[in-house]
Amino acid sequence: LDLINHLFLGFSVALQPMNLFYCFLGVLIGTLVGVLPGLGPVAAMSLLLPATFHTTPVASIIMLAGIYYGAMYGGSTTSILVNIPGEAASVMTCLDGYQMARKGRAGPALGISAFGSFIAGSLGIFGLILIAPPLVDFALKFGPPEYFSLMVLGLMILTFLTSVSMIRSLMMAALGLVLGTIGLDNISGMARFTFNIPELLDGVGLVPLVMGLFGISEVLLNIELKVKREIFTTKLKGLLPTLEDWARSIWSILRGTVLGFFLGILPGGGAVIASFVSYAIERRVSRHPEEFGKGAIEGVAAPEAANNSAAQGAFIPLLTLGIPSNVVMAMLLGALIIHGVTPGPLLLMQHPQLFWGVVASMYVGNAMLLALNLPLIGMWVQLLKIPYSILFPVIILFCLLGSYSINNSTTDMAIMLVCGVIGYLMKKLSLEAAPLVLAFVLGPMLETALRQALIKSKGSFAIFFTRPISATCLIIAIALIIMPLLPWFRRRRPGATLEREDVT
Amino acid sequence: VKKTFLINDLIWIGISVLVCYGGLKLGFGSFHQPRPGFMPFLSGLILGLLALIDLISGLINHWPTEKRDREIWANINWPKLILTLGLLSLYTFLFSTIGFVTGTVLLLLFLFRAMEPRPWWVVITAAMITTAFFYLGFKVGLDSQLPKGFLGL
Repeated sequence: LDLINHLFLGFSVALQPMNLFYCFLGVLIGTLVGVLPGLGPVAAMSLLLPATFHTTPVASIIMLAGIYYGAMYGGSTTSILVNIPGEAASVMTCLDGYQMARKGRAGPALGISAFGSFIAGSLGIFGLILIAPPLVDFALKFGPPEYFSLMVLGLMILTFLTSVSMIRSLMMAALGLVLGTIGLDNISGMARFTFNIPELLDGVGLVPLVMGLFGISEVLLNIELKVKREIFTTKLKGLLPTLEDWARSIWSILRGTVLGFFLGILPGGGAVIASFVSYAIERRVSRHPEEFGKGAIEGVAAPEAANNSAAQGAFIPLLTLGIPSNVVMAMLLGALIIHGVTPGPLLLMQHPQLFWGVVASMYVGNAMLLALNLPLIGMWVQLLKIPYSILFPVIILFCLLGSYSINNSTTDMAIMLVCGVIGYLMKKLSLEAAPLVLAFVLGPMLETALRQALIKSKGSFAIFFTRPISATCLIIAIALIIMPLLPWFRRRRPGATLEREDVT
Repeated sequence: VKKTFLINDLIWIGISVLVCYGGLKLGFGSFHQPRPGFMPFLSGLILGLLALIDLISGLINHWPTEKRDREIWANINWPKLILTLGLLSLYTFLFSTIGFVTGTVLLLLFLFRAMEPRPWWVVITAAMITTAFFYLGFKVGLDSQLPKGFLGL
C-alpha cells in the first residue's frame, strides 16, 4: 500500500505542467544528442546543467534524467540507418541493425528497438521502485569505511570491465583522484595545487572536464577521419515488427532487461557494458548464432533493451547511497548538490517528492519517447544529413559556451580546451576517460571517507577489513585486481571480450 | 620499441613524482592524523607505480596489443588540427575583449571554411545564423553574461 501511495505522490509531481514540460524537453534533447554523433548525453547534460539553476530541483533532475534515457533511445537510429552509433551504448546495435536496414528491414529494426527500449525502460523503473527503498534501510548502516570500500569497488569494476589494459585504466583512475584534490581541502580548508589561480579554489569544474574529454576530443579525432555516411533515402515503412519478429525478440528483450538492470546498478557498470554483454549472451544462447552480424533482430532487441534498463538501474546507487555508478550519474550528483539536495540514504526521507517524482517521470518520459521515436524517425534522419563540417563547429561552440556560462569564466573555457587536447591524446593512446571522470567525481568523497575512517581507527587499516560490508567490497576489489594476472582468465576477461567484439 | 607508449609512461611517472612532491609539501601528516597532502601523495604514488609497471611490462613484451607508432600518428591532418586548436585558443584568449558576437562570427567563419571549402556567402550566412541561434539560446534563454567586447555588441 505504501508503494501505491508513493507512486501516487510521484505521479502527482511528475504530471505537474512544469515538470511535464521539462520531462518532454529532456527526452527531446536526449533523443537529439543520441541521434547526432559527436555529442553524447554526458556533454549534453553538462551543457544544460547551468540552465537548470533557475528551476526547481525536481524539474532539473527530471530533465537531466530524461536526456540520459532519451539518448539511449535516440542512439539506435544512427546505428541502424547510418552504421554510426549516436552514443557509445548503441555500438552493438550497429552490427545487426545496419544489416537489417541493408536488407530493407530498417523499419522493423527501428520498431523493435523503440518497443524493446520502452519495455526495458518500464520494467527497469519497476525494478528501481522495488529495490531502492529496502536498499535505503541497508545503506543507513554505512559509515566512512563502507563508503570508502564501496567507492573503491566501483572504480575497480569500471576499470575491470571497460578496457583491455586494466593497468592503464587504473592509471587514469589515479589521475582522476589527483585532479579531484585540486582546490580547497574539504577538511582543513587549505588550497591544493591551485597555482594562485582563484578559479581553481573550487577545484576543476566537472563540466569543462567532461566537455573537453568527451566533446572536444571527439571533434578533434573526427577532424582527421573521412567518414562517408550512407543514409537510406528510401521511404521507411512497416515500423511495427511482425509477429515472427516479436516471437524471436521477446525473450531477448526480457533477458537484456534483467541483465542490463543489474549491470546498471553495479558501481562502475552502465549502459555501454550492458549492451555489449547482452549481445554476447544473445549470440551464445541463440539457435541461429550464424545470423548474428548479418541482420538478426535479436541482435538489435537485446542490446537496446539492456542499455535502457541499465539507464534506470544506474539511478539506484545514486539515489540510495549517494554514489554515482557512472559518469552520467556523476553529472546528476553534481546537479543535486548544486540544488542543495544531498543524495544518499536520507534522500528518500527528506525529499520523497523528488525521489518518487523523478521515478514517475521516467514512466511518463518512456511513453513520450515511444511517441517521439516512431513517428519522428523521418525528422531524425533529416538531421543526420547535416554535414560534419557544419556540425563540428557547432558542437565546439556548444562546449565553449557551456563551459563559460557556468561561472562566466574564460578560465573554464581554457581548462576545457586543455582537457580536450588531453582527451584527444588519451584516445590516440587507448586510455579510457571514464575511469578518470568517475574517480574525479568520487575523489573528494573517497578522500573524506578514507581520512574519517583512519582518524576513527587511530590510523589502523584494519577498520576496512573488520567490518563485514567494507571487507566484502574490498575483497571483491582485490580479487578484480588479481584475476587478470591469472593467464587462463586473461583471455576470458570481459574487457578483452568487449575489445574483440568491437574489433569484429 | 613503441616509442609513443614508452614516452607516455615516462610522462606519467614524471607527473606522479611532481604530485607526490606537491603532496609532501602540503603535509602528509600520519595515518592516524592525515593532512591535506595525504590523498595527493597516495594518488600520485599509485599513478607512478602503475606507470612503472606498465613501462616495465611494455619493455619486456613490447606492448603487444598496442598499435605501432606509425599507425597512431598517421592520417592526422596536422594543419587542420593545429589551425582548429589555434583558433579555439585565440577565441578563448580574446573572448572577453572582443565580445561574444564579434568573436563567435569570426571563429565560425574560419571554422566553417577550414572544415570544408565553401563559397564565402554560404559561410558568412551560416556563421551569422549560428551566432544568432547561440545568442538566443545562451543570452536570452539561459541569461548568461556574455561579454559585449570593445564594439559593445
